[in-house]
Amino acid sequence: MYISRHMTGEPITVSSAMLLPEARALLNDYQFRHLPVVDENGILLGMLTDRDLRSAYPSSVLSNSERQLVYEKVEKTTVAEIMSTDCVTLGPNSTLDDALFLFDRDQMGALPVLDEERVVGVFSIRDLTTAYKNLFGVGEKGSILIGIVDDGSPGIMTRIVTLLEEQQIPFTRLLRICGKSDGDTIYLRINTFKIAKVYALLEEEGLTVKRA
Amino acid sequence: MSAPLTIISDQRYLQHDTGGGEHPEIPARLQAVSQALEASPYFSDLTFVPPHVAEREWLVKAHTEDWLFRFEEAVLAGRTYIDHTDNQICYDSYDIACLSAGAGLTGIDLIEEEKARNVFCLVRPPGHHAEHNIPFGFCFFNNCVVAARYWQHCYGKKRILIFDFDGHHGNGIQSAFEDEAAGYYISIHEHPSFSYPGTGYGDEHGLGEGKGTILNLPLSPGGGDDQVVKLLQETILPKLNEWQPDAIIIAAGFDAHREDEMTGLHYSTELYHTIGLVIRDWAEQFTEGRILSILEGGYELSVLGDSVEAYVRGLLGK
Ligand SMILES: [Zn+2]
Repeated sequence: MYISRHMTGEPITVSSAMLLPEARALLNDYQFRHLPVVDENGILLGMLTDRDLRSAYPSSVLSNSERQLVYEKVEKTTVAEIMSTDCVTLGPNSTLDDALFLFDRDQMGALPVLDEERVVGVFSIRDLTTAYKNLFGVGEKGSILIGIVDDGSPGIMTRIVTLLEEQQIPFTRLLRICGKSDGDTIYLRINTFKIAKVYALLEEEGLTVKRA
Repeated sequence: MSAPLTIISDQRYLQHDTGGGEHPEIPARLQAVSQALEASPYFSDLTFVPPHVAEREWLVKAHTEDWLFRFEEAVLAGRTYIDHTDNQICYDSYDIACLSAGAGLTGIDLIEEEKARNVFCLVRPPGHHAEHNIPFGFCFFNNCVVAARYWQHCYGKKRILIFDFDGHHGNGIQSAFEDEAAGYYISIHEHPSFSYPGTGYGDEHGLGEGKGTILNLPLSPGGGDDQVVKLLQETILPKLNEWQPDAIIIAAGFDAHREDEMTGLHYSTELYHTIGLVIRDWAEQFTEGRILSILEGGYELSVLGDSVEAYVRGLLGK
């Protein structure tokens, strides 16, 4: 669950003295949207995002002469002048859940990961969705998630697991979720072609399958 | 002058034994199809040709040597399934799977030698879930992918359309073609959140050079005739006009039928007639009437035969 296993390590960084055209080229070349800005020791000074850059460049509604002026200014602007400095950061011991809460709270696209103050990685929303996708098995070939009504009866988890194991139906995830709107549900990721048969077996066992 | 429709099939396909019990992919499927075709008023329009075995040279264009070896070894060792109990095997399964993949190659030769134009391979085991290196969902060799590779390499086809109307997504076909520009995979299937194999989301369009060569059209459970007809006319045909295929392979599966429990889709038997007619029109428009169809799924014996017969009627333009 530590983000160090899911982040992009040894990320490309820029110095605060770099001029904007060069930083823009970097972002375009590597299709990143976030660059950590560091000093000569790799210590984080700020973050530069493609949004910061876009707003530094002239808007298309400006007249040609005005645009030219902005361009000339941009050519001489350093990263230090437009980067954001009040960065939220993650540490090597941060977990996926820490990152999820931060992304949810601050609506950021990526967070720098620091060891002491040195940048050791970048963790993006994309890294987070990939990690959770793997955790829950979304899109795993040969598997689907089915829902069973959790009536709270004693031993319901045992009944489900025993039934599946006896019938040799492979499954990889078992989640028990108290749902406010949807009711309490046990989710099961089964790996079989014979989904109708699994539904029938569960229903024979007296369980209620939440069909589509 | 070629026959109106050439059927490639073989009694030996019945020898792939999936162990009895409740396995749905059974020899009786092909027997049900044969009976329905024999009873069809259009039986006399059909010409039957036996398949040859797919040579290793062609199998390895779609699969790894490692998988071929593992498969062969498993049947020789008398194992009853590979990797997952869905993939039941018997001693003959490797040979029969080679014969199943061979039907497409036999059909392509007939088409290219102008001995046939419209070919339907009635085979088992099916193929569209089989991946490069592993079996999946009753499938061992990906019959459609092997056929497409053969058509590309032997006859220089550069724009092969594979249209898959099985109720499940053909994950193995997508992964074979998603990063190349020479194949276009279009699939209508039950939404992956509700159906095996959990792949085939609508936002996957291909990768790298293959961007734009995958078209997944998932339907929600309960989806039926009206939605399919609309997709065929309003979504798929314009894409084909743009893309201009030079060969057409159909992954013809019949498990989206409303009586077939393997998916939650609700197609009627008559829909398969309409699909046959539409595909025939595509072939007239793009490939001088040439079509290679290969049987995939379809497990409800009470409707499978009639569904295949309806599709055949459509392919014949009747
Ligand atoms: Zn199917």
